[in-house]
Amino acid sequence: MSASKPGSMIVVLTVTSVVVGGLLAGFFHLVQPRIEENRIAEERRAIFAVLPGSERYDTIEKEIPTVKGKNEAVRIFKGLDKEGGTVGYAFIAQGAGFQGTIKMMVGLNAGSKKLFGMNVLDQVETPGLGNKISEERFTGQFKNLSIEPRIEYLKNKNPEKPNEVQAVTGATISSRAVVNGINNRVKTILGILASGEREG
Amino acid sequence: MPPSDRTLFYEFKKGLLLENPVAVMLLGMCSSLAVTNQIKNSLAMGLAVVFVTIASSALVSMVRKLVPGGVRIATYIVIISGFVTLADLFFKAFFPDISKTLGPYVPLIVVNCIIMARAEVFAAKHPVAASVADAVGMGVGYTWVLLVIGAIREVLGSGSIFGLAILSENVFKPWVVMVLPPGAFLTLGFLIGFINYIKSRKEGIE
Amino acid sequence: MAEEEKNVGGLVISSSPHLLTGENVPKIMYSVVAALLPVCSVSVYFFGLHALILIAVSTVSSVGAEYLIQRFMGRPVKAWDGSAAVTGILLALTLPPRFSIFGVVLGSVFAIVVAKQIFGGLGYNIFNPALLGRAFLQAAYPVFITAWTEPFRGFFQVDAVSAATPLALMKFEGIITPRLNLLFGNVAGSLGETSALAILAGGLYLRYKGYVNWKLPMGFLLSIAFFGGIFWVVDPLKYPDPLFHILSGGAMLGAWFMVTDMVTTPTTLKGQWLFSVAAGAITILIRLFGGLPEGVMYSILLMNSLVPLLNRWTRPKVFGEGLA
Repeated sequence: MSASKPGSMIVVLTVTSVVVGGLLAGFFHLVQPRIEENRIAEERRAIFAVLPGSERYDTIEKEIPTVKGKNEAVRIFKGLDKEGGTVGYAFIAQGAGFQGTIKMMVGLNAGSKKLFGMNVLDQVETPGLGNKISEERFTGQFKNLSIEPRIEYLKNKNPEKPNEVQAVTGATISSRAVVNGINNRVKTILGILASGEREG
Repeated sequence: MPPSDRTLFYEFKKGLLLENPVAVMLLGMCSSLAVTNQIKNSLAMGLAVVFVTIASSALVSMVRKLVPGGVRIATYIVIISGFVTLADLFFKAFFPDISKTLGPYVPLIVVNCIIMARAEVFAAKHPVAASVADAVGMGVGYTWVLLVIGAIREVLGSGSIFGLAILSENVFKPWVVMVLPPGAFLTLGFLIGFINYIKSRKEGIE
Repeated sequence: MAEEEKNVGGLVISSSPHLLTGENVPKIMYSVVAALLPVCSVSVYFFGLHALILIAVSTVSSVGAEYLIQRFMGRPVKAWDGSAAVTGILLALTLPPRFSIFGVVLGSVFAIVVAKQIFGGLGYNIFNPALLGRAFLQAAYPVFITAWTEPFRGFFQVDAVSAATPLALMKFEGIITPRLNLLFGNVAGSLGETSALAILAGGLYLRYKGYVNWKLPMGFLLSIAFFGGIFWVVDPLKYPDPLFHILSGGAMLGAWFMVTDMVTTPTTLKGQWLFSVAAGAITILIRLFGGLPEGVMYSILLMNSLVPLLNRWTRPKVFGEGLA
């Protein structure tokens, strides 16, 4: 290839970038609504799965101070039934798992201090071992689980008390991450809800 | 080598085995190791790469005489990343589940050396028809290797194929290691060894 | 490769282990097998018939795999030189008592085919085959490989009771197992790792025969005691004492039968000290701070991979070369 003039180089690169950029912008506009729809549909699915009986939900956003002095935005999804009565509250809890953060959607009955249920949204735990935390056998235990005084996990033993779950065999770290994540978040959420009631 | 010497079919065929991008040229290792824990992911990744390779090879070949040598790599990258973003948005819009499991590996096709290599080594020097034939061959070559790795890893690691359980847990306890990164290295290593074995047998006979 | 290997009366001359004795490979290997017999007997005594089956199956399938792969690869068949048998027995001894028969076959085939023959066979393998076989099984069956059972549940083990190993008890429950139990081996654990006494008997026999370089096991065990001891001195309530570290888990078995592997450990004196001390330090690191209760396997494998480097760094200077 012969040495090329700087002028033509700039022109060609600029034209290519503009054309490709333009095409992408067009395509993005075309599919953007669908992508947004997918995201919302996923959120709805996750929320309704842990708040049975709800028809729609309101999102409550609240800034709370964290230990590090910064504020953190907490989103609480308030599930409403057909008549507009409150079913319960859903929120996202996180725990530090074996290999990364585990994200859970948790449904809370603030009145009876029990969980409606829990589903794992995101996790990168070891397949066949830690990732069993997203299976029904583990998550199902969180149905009607008491959060008082806090959720406890047992190893290789069947739960007896209403606030106990059995950890996944061989994956104590993952199970602990889920339980601790939920415990911590429940405390925050209850605090927010309590202060909200006082204000309102 | 004047392109007329070789038929289009040859340009297509060479990517399948003789110059297979993954098994022989060892290109695109990162994605072929990372996404092949399930055959479904292998297929999606393979198709994305086929699309991007064909589209970018065709376009690079079309503009090959217009692009000055000094900015050719930059131009190729702009073209390739355009198509990759297109594929990524497409997955996000129509196959959100697959998009989620493939994670960052779709955007990373931009730096997948197979596509860059075909653009620079082949499409920049050959007419459009030959470039497309070459791109199809390379894309298909990449895809079948990914499918084989994905199939082996899914059967041995999860006892299923395309997500359908084919082996009962009572008969066969899945080897967790196969869905983890070491399983990818082991499978790829054995596959490359096997292909080399076949190639050496073939050359021995000829 | 074939022309590099000269077979002189059963003695294979290859790169790494240069033994200037009248010994040959089979003689050494079968001495190791003999040295492992006390460990095997004790494990059958503690864990019953299934232990015997596991050891036998592992040995037979290792030798069988070696025979078949050497035939397939067109190499001289040396499956009977005892090295495959040693690998098989060692692999079985690192497994839990109720491990599946298919699993042990898989592990031994992996150890022989992938860890040993693909690298070029005896003398060329970078990693200890038995340990790599176990590492594969650990990754493949993470649940079953940590399914420990209590000793003395009858010969047929019909009422096997699951139990935690001393190291797991220490790590997750803070319970320290009595020393005497660790010494004799009536605790939960891998087949061959529970009885420190039986391992020591085999190790001393090899030492007496001159097949074991005492520096490697000593360096390894002393390093475990030293680094474990540091933490114990700092906080005796939180960390176990050095003796516990030495007697529990795979430390003894690793020290006498894996750190001493001629192929996968350094050849120079300085290299051997470095190897064994570093392996001990990594073991303690994994035991006290890692995600797993036991670290002997990974620490030895990790150091195996550094052996070529250690050999290079610590190569004795040629006389007259350099200033020092």
